[in-house]
Amino acid sequence: MTTRPSPCLSIGELSDYWTTDISLDEIEHIEAHVFECSACTQLLADADLLRRGIGDVARTGGFQAFVTDSLLNQFARDGVRVRTYAMDAGGSVQCAVWDDDDVLVTRLRADFSGVTAIDAVLRLETGEEWGRTSDVPVPAGSHELIMALPAEFVRRAPEVPIRLSLRSTSASPGDAPLAEYTFDHRGALSRRSR
Amino acid sequence: MVRAAATVACMPGPDTAPFVDRPDGDLAREVASAPAGQAAAAEGELYRRFARRVRLFGVKHLRDDMAADDLAQQVMLIAIERLRAGEIRNPDEIGSFILSTSRMVATGLRRTERRREHLHMRMEAGEPVDMPRDERLFDADRIKPCLASMRERERTILLLTYYVERSATEIAAAMGMTAGAVRVARHRAVAAMRDCLDARRSA
Repeated sequence: MTTRPSPCLSIGELSDYWTTDISLDEIEHIEAHVFECSACTQLLADADLLRRGIGDVARTGGFQAFVTDSLLNQFARDGVRVRTYAMDAGGSVQCAVWDDDDVLVTRLRADFSGVTAIDAVLRLETGEEWGRTSDVPVPAGSHELIMALPAEFVRRAPEVPIRLSLRSTSASPGDAPLAEYTFDHRGALSRRSR
Repeated sequence: MVRAAATVACMPGPDTAPFVDRPDGDLAREVASAPAGQAAAAEGELYRRFARRVRLFGVKHLRDDMAADDLAQQVMLIAIERLRAGEIRNPDEIGSFILSTSRMVATGLRRTERRREHLHMRMEAGEPVDMPRDERLFDADRIKPCLASMRERERTILLLTYYVERSATEIAAAMGMTAGAVRVARHRAVAAMRDCLDARRSA
């Protein structure tokens, strides 16, 4: 049991300690509190483990997300093996992942003028939904979104065309998609078998 | 120094249970009033409470886990020696004393090449600071499904913050948000991740 000179902080607030944008005053405030409070010490330690775990997941390409060039640069620094495709709206690409790929990245180009967020849906040619992501932010002036998929996820995909539709989050159900792209999926390739 | 620090690290041998619910100041007074080395249980409990705080401080400021372990052991050694010698005037402020000592020692470590020497020595002879939390709760296999269950923008914010080490301002520019909104979303996302991990552990 320890004394608590100031109100306890949430794990969200404490997690700021592990970021690059926290001010010196905020750092000192957190430290002064944590050195008097065992409960917040535990939360701060949890926040540390959480950020390390997120880094570990990222370094194995174990997530699906729309990402930035800065994240791809970090992949490069960490030696993450990335296979990259690029498509214009309405485009199609024959795609596959190799057995040593970690991540499949696709640069999706389109006119996103006036769009602040999109929903993305992947469908097999049967119409079956294969994946969905909602409320992806679109910065003003963007002409490209970068979608990252774990190679492990793509390896499990059927070897059929897969269509990706992007719609504005604010669109009505009957509105046409902003852009569509076709992944003509050719499966997983092994260098050992070639 | 390393050998002495390891001695402090090994202090929690005696039963510290009677001290678990005692305030920090009581423990510090117990150490200060006992003949040198005769308050091992109180010293052990103080070590248990504060070494991990100093270690977290070290991880933040030295950005090196082994240096942080080393800092924790050095600081706790100083704190306990000063208590034993009666040189800490207000034992109720032991937390404040340990924090200021952490700052001083960390500055010294950064300024000199001693850090490298300590690291080298620690790799041969040191012991890691005890971190009682079950760290497996936060391993990649457990985090992955929780990360997948997040909202898209919160997931991206966590990745850019903790993997790419981007500031809220940089993330805001990349995502078409304000820096304040990024921080709020990050707070929410971290809390949701921890809840998800706890729920999976319970399940």
